[in-house]
Amino acid sequence: MSQFLHIAPESPRVETSTAPKTRSPLRIFVAANLGEERFFLILAVFIGIFAGLAVVCFRLAIDWTRIGLLGPAPEPHSLRVLLVPALVGIAVAILVIHFFPQVRGSGVNQTKAALYIFNGRIPFRTAVGKFITAALAIGSGQSLGPEDPSLQIGASLAWAIGYRMNLSRDKGRLLAPIGAAAGLAAAFNAPISAVLFVIEEVIGRWSAAILGSVVLAAISSVVVVRWFLGAQALFRIPPLTTVHPTELLAYAILGIVGGLAAVIFAKAIGYFRPILRSMPRATQYFQPAAAGLVIGVIGYLGAPQVMGAGYQYIDQAMHDQFTWKVLAILAGLKIIATTLSFVSGTPGGMFAPTLFVGAMLGGAIGGLERHFYPHLTGTTGTYCLVGMGVLFAGFLRAPMTSVFMVLEVSGDYSIILPVIIANAIAYVVSRSLQPTPIFDMLTRQDGLNLPSLEEQREESVFHVEDAMKLPTDPVLDSEDTVEEANQQIQQSKAEAFLVRMSPSGWSTLDRERLLRFANEGKLQMTLGSLLSGQRLPHLHPDYPLEMALRSVENAPFIPVVSRADLRKLEGIISKEDVLAKYRAAALGE
Amino acid sequence: MNEASLPVSRRPAVVITILTIIALVGFLGVSRLVHRFQEQEKALARHLYQRGLEDQQVSNPTAALEHFRAALGYDRENFQYQLSLARALRDSGRTEEAQAYLISLWEQSPQNGAVNLALGRLAARENSLERVIQYYHNAIYGVWGADADQSRLNAWFELVEVLLRLNARPQAQAELISLSATLPMNSQLELHAADLFFQAQDYDHALAQYRRVLQHDPESPAAFAGAGQAAFKLSRYRTAAKYLETALKANPQDAQLSQMLMTSKLILQNDPFGHGLSTEERNRRVEIIFEDTGKRLDACMNSEGGAPPQVDPLPPLKARWTEMKSKITRLGRSGESGLPDEVMDLVLQIEQQTATCPQAPIDQVLLLLAENRAGVEQ
Repeated sequence: MSQFLHIAPESPRVETSTAPKTRSPLRIFVAANLGEERFFLILAVFIGIFAGLAVVCFRLAIDWTRIGLLGPAPEPHSLRVLLVPALVGIAVAILVIHFFPQVRGSGVNQTKAALYIFNGRIPFRTAVGKFITAALAIGSGQSLGPEDPSLQIGASLAWAIGYRMNLSRDKGRLLAPIGAAAGLAAAFNAPISAVLFVIEEVIGRWSAAILGSVVLAAISSVVVVRWFLGAQALFRIPPLTTVHPTELLAYAILGIVGGLAAVIFAKAIGYFRPILRSMPRATQYFQPAAAGLVIGVIGYLGAPQVMGAGYQYIDQAMHDQFTWKVLAILAGLKIIATTLSFVSGTPGGMFAPTLFVGAMLGGAIGGLERHFYPHLTGTTGTYCLVGMGVLFAGFLRAPMTSVFMVLEVSGDYSIILPVIIANAIAYVVSRSLQPTPIFDMLTRQDGLNLPSLEEQREESVFHVEDAMKLPTDPVLDSEDTVEEANQQIQQSKAEAFLVRMSPSGWSTLDRERLLRFANEGKLQMTLGSLLSGQRLPHLHPDYPLEMALRSVENAPFIPVVSRADLRKLEGIISKEDVLAKYRAAALGE
Repeated sequence: MNEASLPVSRRPAVVITILTIIALVGFLGVSRLVHRFQEQEKALARHLYQRGLEDQQVSNPTAALEHFRAALGYDRENFQYQLSLARALRDSGRTEEAQAYLISLWEQSPQNGAVNLALGRLAARENSLERVIQYYHNAIYGVWGADADQSRLNAWFELVEVLLRLNARPQAQAELISLSATLPMNSQLELHAADLFFQAQDYDHALAQYRRVLQHDPESPAAFAGAGQAAFKLSRYRTAAKYLETALKANPQDAQLSQMLMTSKLILQNDPFGHGLSTEERNRRVEIIFEDTGKRLDACMNSEGGAPPQVDPLPPLKARWTEMKSKITRLGRSGESGLPDEVMDLVLQIEQQTATCPQAPIDQVLLLLAENRAGVEQ
């Protein structure tokens, strides 16, 4: 816990160090040019570099483990395929229960929890544990992927690098998401998707400061990964066909089926996970092994493709190496295998299985459609790619990321239409049948109350125009004299009036003060000369209502003015108006 | 601004320096790991590819398929592995998958000769003549790696063989004419081309090609045999006999060549239309042929299993033969110059109608003589 105490409060720091007597040119340069913002950006680059290095090692570890445990070419009817996932499952369970209890699951929620609960802290021990256990699990054939663990490893590394840097609390909290973006970008070899996912699912808000550091970290990590492992994507993209508009219907069907598959997938995890977690502790030693045994049986009986992350099989599916029937079977088996692996508490991610299921399902639907309608021009590769986006949108419920992920992985903008249509349909189908997104469901099962970013996105936001009123009382002008103003307010019962100032701006004047001006003999003086320096803030109709709350406290009402003409009054809003709107919303009116 | 007022770490320069050093060390370490891993991957890929090739050699395409796939898992950009996988798919009967895989390779590299050849072979399996010609042409004029000229020639020869198998003789002949014009000075290749001309029933070009072989390799028994057979097919029996005799010296046991030589000699001995024959000699040969044909007709009519009486063509032929018998004594008289042709017409008809009866060697000779009224010896 001492690490946690290194984050300084947000208030200005008192630096106690003294300047050295002799300073090198570098130190002078740094001292002269670095503020916290700039230093944080440099730190983000280093986080990206270290996350990239870690992810490269992680991928090598998984591959070495797989080759060592399952052999270079896992084949059906081999005892290794049957037994290794179960036996390694016991070892993984022991490691998780006794040494690394924080590494269960995918890592996305843990990173989110770090941001919202633990001020960004993810102990380095978590990164070590995740690295070892996930490499063992995925390498031994558990149906899980390396992306989410990479995300968590990146987040943990970021904390390890940044927590001693005496950063403000806000910046300290951002370390984990920055590392997460770097880890995910490195694992995916796709920086845009990683940045979008982290902003869409973990941070939940956009700001220039956040975006800059997240993008820098993601790009740095991808550069490192490409330096070592090459620039090629996780799978080779076959030439894609541009879609004729009438064929979009075929992709819409894929969106519906994909959405349903995503719901089945999510509901299976949501149903079995609490059951297994509520079982006696002793059984948790054997849950990963039992899942491994079932997966081993699937592999032994003829479908070793469902073992591990399965990227090479996505590649094969995209290059038409399976018939549509085989693709459909593989999609179904992968859902079963991944559900078992995940609910058993085995560390590993769901990104790769989601992409696997999506690719197989897409290829199967495409093949089936072409079977009945041979004139359809979409290749299997196109359907597989769209299918991946569909599952991503439907299961992980990250619609923007799902679109950009497909575009970034394929590098082909021509499939944008089918991707958007299919993903949107899958998202809608999934949302209507499974209102709670998978990550939110998992956090709730864990007893955490993290903000649901999808729910936040959907929350209705009140604007000033929803609560403002049209002005009914006279609006005075700064060029009016006190006498003229007195005449104008004769018919009104209001106690305070708005004054339109020249050349722009607004002020208020109450009846009592106006009378005082008159009694003081200032009848011919203009209001502008008497009220100079007394300006009211103004609002625009599209401002969020909560913004009005900050202004209405110190004035009886605030002018709501046109954006095109700041002297044109659209309405007025008072504290009572704002509260009345919130009250009405709370009562469901 | 002095250093004490920095809002971040007290020693940012030190921090950055330390992070840079750690990053550099990390780069070096990871670099070694990756290098080692990639070497291991390449070795595994080669090993699996070799196993796939071994599987292919023992005609186990399914196992080969899996090994090629596994090899590609470790070296997925390797074109040779991809091509081998596609071929294995084709050889294991998974034509659709092979086709799709090859098409995707073709789309990556449409000029690649090996890919086009594989696609051509796939089209040949499906008896798709149009695609066969398209892909084989792409292969012939495509890009090859090492030994490109030989690969192109092999593809061209293969195309001709495929066309012959698909009974596309005119296309095969056209390809062969182009191919033979570009052949290098290599008697093996020329002999192969000549054999293909022969199979394509373009006996003129076949004979010319065999002769070209003999110019480069005057001792080639295969070329002598081929030239003899081609000449025989062209009814150039003297030439045929000359080549066949030479061929049989090298291979006296060849029954087919012996038979052909014997036939050629019989034809030369009995040909009534040969150049330089006296009228008496020609008439004598026509009479002998006529008599032999009559005997064959009788033998055939007396044999069992003939056609039903109402459709039997032999009795009318017998009647015509008998009628001709009365005319044949007029051979050699003035005003009967058309008689030998009439006799030979009847001989041809009788030989054709008695083709189903047991044949003696002379019957084939008679048939050939009747077919080559212009004289067999050129």
